[in-house]
Amino acid sequence: MALTLLGAGSIAAIIGFIVFRAGLYNIAANDQHYPLIYTVFEEGLQYSIQNHAEDIQVPALGAPAQLLRGAAVYSANCVQCHGAPGIAPLSQGMSMQPIPGPLVDADVNWETRELYWITRNGIKMSGMPAWEYHLSDSDIWAVVAFVAAMPGMTPADYRRMTTQQHLTEPAQAAARTAAEGEDS
Amino acid sequence: MNGARCMMVAALAAVFATALAGCGQTRPAPGVQGDPERGMLALTQHACHSCHIVPGLAGSKVYVGRPLDDLAERRYIAGKVPNTQDNLVRWIMDPQAIDPGNAMPAMGVSERDAIDISAYLLSQ
Repeated sequence: MALTLLGAGSIAAIIGFIVFRAGLYNIAANDQHYPLIYTVFEEGLQYSIQNHAEDIQVPALGAPAQLLRGAAVYSANCVQCHGAPGIAPLSQGMSMQPIPGPLVDADVNWETRELYWITRNGIKMSGMPAWEYHLSDSDIWAVVAFVAAMPGMTPADYRRMTTQQHLTEPAQAAARTAAEGEDS
Repeated sequence: MNGARCMMVAALAAVFATALAGCGQTRPAPGVQGDPERGMLALTQHACHSCHIVPGLAGSKVYVGRPLDDLAERRYIAGKVPNTQDNLVRWIMDPQAIDPGNAMPAMGVSERDAIDISAYLLSQ
């Protein structure tokens, strides 16, 4: 039994080494991952973020002035890769792998504290930069509040917000709900 | 690389490719213009899969846009125009021209790329 396991382990190691050393895995950004590999990376990323963001305390978010500030931070730093309602990312963001996701569904995938952690610390080998040394903490919370409000925004809302006008009621309500959800 | 090692590598590569390859259909359906195989690559380079689940492509379960697995069956695009290949090409290139205010932006897709992308989606 032990010998069989050792044999199987050695064969797996040899196959692994051949795949590694012969450069069989295509590292090109336009070659898509195999579904299994994608799933392992994605789930590993989710578990890691859940674990590391666990103890973050979320302040009250969603005041109109904070959302306007968040809109300005978003349009200066985020829309280039993530796009926005009705707005395409730049070509640099479009053809990256992994593809930077849209953030209008960020509230489905992430808790608010996790959005803060991701924005502040970035994600290795994904192209997501760490913003800790480039944005103030209050700007990071502002952009998190804005992203949390995005599900309630129409393309017209987004345009209004990023041109410094006021947010419609559904988008404000979404921001309040996100903040309240964290409090409870 | 010597001959034996080369053969072993080739055999392994074949096994991996067969075992792990996605199942996207890359032959055009009858009456569909364009190159589905090139279309699948083109759609990843225009970030279609950032918002849509695309058949045959590894990706997240994302429901920002609707899943694109039933394009061949659908009657209308965005509830606005009949789902012909010509209209699908127009939609991919400039959704706002068909449905102003729609959350899907124009992604700067060329006509050739849009034809191939539509060919892939209509051949699933």
